[in-house]
Amino acid sequence: MSVYAAKPTPPRSGRNLRGRPRACAFYDLDGTLASLNLLHATAFYLANLGRWSARGGYLARLVLDLPRLYLAERDDRRLLNMKLFEAYKGVSRDRLWELGDEYCERVLVRHLYPRAIEMLEGNRAAGIEPVLVTGSPDFLVEPLARRLNVEHFAANRLVYSRGLATGRMREPVMAGSEKSAWCAEFAAARRIDLAACWGYADSYYDLPFLCALGHPVAVNPDRRLLAAAHNRQWPVVRFSHDAESSGQDAASGAWLLDWLGGAADGATGK
Amino acid sequence: MARPESKLKELKSAELRHEPGARRDLVVTLNRRSAPRLIAYGDDFMYEKLPVGTRVIYPPPPLEPLADPDAAIRYALLRPENADPLFAQLNPNMRVTIAIDDISLPLPQMRRPDIRERALNIVLQTLADYGVDDVHLIVATSLHRRMTEAEIRRMVGERAFKQFWPERLYNFDGENRAELVMLGKSDHGEEVWLSRRAAESDLLLYLNINLVPMDGGHKSVAVGLAPYQSLRHHHNPATLRQCSSYMDPTRSALHHSANRMGRVVNQHVNVFTIETAINNQMYGGMLDFLQKNEDRFSDWDRMRLGGFRWTLGNMSDSLRRQVLNQYAAPYAMTGVWAGETDAVHRKALARVFQQYAVPVKGQSDVLIVGVPYICPYNVNSVMNPVLVQCTGLGYLFNMFRGKPLVRAGGTVIVCHPLRDEFHPEHHPSYIEFFHRCLRETTDASELERNFEAEFARNPTYIHMYRYGHAYHGVHPFYMWYWGEPARQHVGRVIAAGCEEPEVATRMGWEAADTLDEAIAMATSDLGRSASITYLHLPPLVIADVE
Repeated sequence: MSVYAAKPTPPRSGRNLRGRPRACAFYDLDGTLASLNLLHATAFYLANLGRWSARGGYLARLVLDLPRLYLAERDDRRLLNMKLFEAYKGVSRDRLWELGDEYCERVLVRHLYPRAIEMLEGNRAAGIEPVLVTGSPDFLVEPLARRLNVEHFAANRLVYSRGLATGRMREPVMAGSEKSAWCAEFAAARRIDLAACWGYADSYYDLPFLCALGHPVAVNPDRRLLAAAHNRQWPVVRFSHDAESSGQDAASGAWLLDWLGGAADGATGK
Repeated sequence: MARPESKLKELKSAELRHEPGARRDLVVTLNRRSAPRLIAYGDDFMYEKLPVGTRVIYPPPPLEPLADPDAAIRYALLRPENADPLFAQLNPNMRVTIAIDDISLPLPQMRRPDIRERALNIVLQTLADYGVDDVHLIVATSLHRRMTEAEIRRMVGERAFKQFWPERLYNFDGENRAELVMLGKSDHGEEVWLSRRAAESDLLLYLNINLVPMDGGHKSVAVGLAPYQSLRHHHNPATLRQCSSYMDPTRSALHHSANRMGRVVNQHVNVFTIETAINNQMYGGMLDFLQKNEDRFSDWDRMRLGGFRWTLGNMSDSLRRQVLNQYAAPYAMTGVWAGETDAVHRKALARVFQQYAVPVKGQSDVLIVGVPYICPYNVNSVMNPVLVQCTGLGYLFNMFRGKPLVRAGGTVIVCHPLRDEFHPEHHPSYIEFFHRCLRETTDASELERNFEAEFARNPTYIHMYRYGHAYHGVHPFYMWYWGEPARQHVGRVIAAGCEEPEVATRMGWEAADTLDEAIAMATSDLGRSASITYLHLPPLVIADVE
């Protein structure tokens, strides 16, 4: 079972301290807790590789791959993940993990929806343990989980050979039904009833994941998930950056500046 | 200065028509030659022959409207009850908050200009004339859903909307802890919480619409601008069980509690209440036959009824719902009063009863009510089963003063298709309440004990209430509790025309395919001696049961 424990941190005051939580809340990350997706993260990584020449090559390849990625997304989320992760082929494990921290601090945290985090903390205070279940790679999710004080998460993992990413992914690939299977295993291991658990996701591909849980919630749903949510009478929640000082920019175009800025920093060895 | 109503030439005759004695003909006993009766049935109507001997109670005709509502509003502000005139209370440096009833009133929505728009324009002009700039408008939603921008614009009108939205015209937020303040406790230990802005204002104006006698009075401020911490003191099974009728505030523990809390508010805040009453002209023009006695239908009425039902029947569910929600009633103002809350409410209540009250002799074994497509909590939304329960047992059962229309242990027949259908963005917690809580128990006290706190504190529901357009997580509980006096009083509830019997079973009701079947089930023990009453809606009627 793919359970990852982030570095243990002391529980917050609002946390249920009376032993095992009675329920979990499983959160998708991209588009649900944060207004970014895996493509943003991949672009950030490739723009922050050690050598300028390598950056150009990797980014050019990513751009050329966009039609292929689009077709893969249209067919199957798992396929998209696999194609996208091929972009990391040849990147060292150390670099990936080092940049993970930086990406989290400089980009991801700024793009978290404040009200999503408010809800996560509210759930935690109500004794519902947060768990991240995402298709993002572990080197991105682990630093975030640490910052959010989330003990458990499920993320995708790359296969490495002699310290370099091979571009392949380890099973299980976190997408669609794999997410629900992971949640079932996770809950069974802790004797938690899935019917009492909450699930938050934004994509139609997460339908099997949401269906497996007692309290599915569609967050900023795409057109097909919105239809499914209405049809199944699931709550629909909408997060945005509207209420923040950063405004809509953070959700739309500012990410480009973020990772370009990151690229410049990367060149100076930051 | 004479009241504007006195200028009406026909007022005297209009009043005479509404003397209780003149209303005996509103109670009709059916015979073999009686026409079928129209019965509200969700977003459709039943047109059914009822058994011979059935007593049908019709609403009184609409009261004459005020000839010049704007003049009446100005008069009320100049000659308030037990208070100084509004202008005399104003100075340029003061902080004023105007609270307004939300979309739950009136039903259906009224044609523009809404009464609130009329009154607001006059009040805002007065404030501007006296140099009062620090003015906020709060839609008193309490734990109801936030009204949308378009709904608020329609309600308050262009002028107020353009001037105040969104910084100074907004929905009340009962979960914004920073904007709530506890004023104290009533002599019964009830915590009185209020919107901070309202509490810290030099003058709080509350602008209300009295559709039924349950509305208005201290309930406006003490409930409309209050969070869960306050509401839980009276919106609970124990209090509601002690209500004889929600429509008789003098015999309603709910109102007694709201009055106690309202008086605490009035000790801290200078409240200037503006109450309005409307007539029951719910349907007019091509749909005016809906308010008629079916025995007096002309051929033209029957043609329109046939066309209306054919049109509704050939629409998709969503289109039908949309069309019905677009309908705006030609309600007209029948009175407006301003000043001290209790004095104002007494006058408003008298006018409301003048509109609705019909004397009725004795109770019956069976009460038939038709639940329409709309209730206070599903405007522009879906009538879900919990709301059908609330409307049938909570509102329509309570349309009485004195004694209930049905005897203790009798049967209520609720006409509604009763579908397992909810609006996931307006009523998210209702879905869980219906599918999880009601599956375990229908006992209101158990529901309160086992689930209420969990729902009230649920972060997802709180988020949807604060930032979406969802009713508060605890709201379905209140809707269930609302039916508590009826559940305590009647022996059986039968859903007639029920499309999904499991929905009825989940709520502890019985299901019948047709109204005939429901009547047969209800009268099976009593046979022909069973007495049946049908409360004819629309519009609204309150039975004064002797």
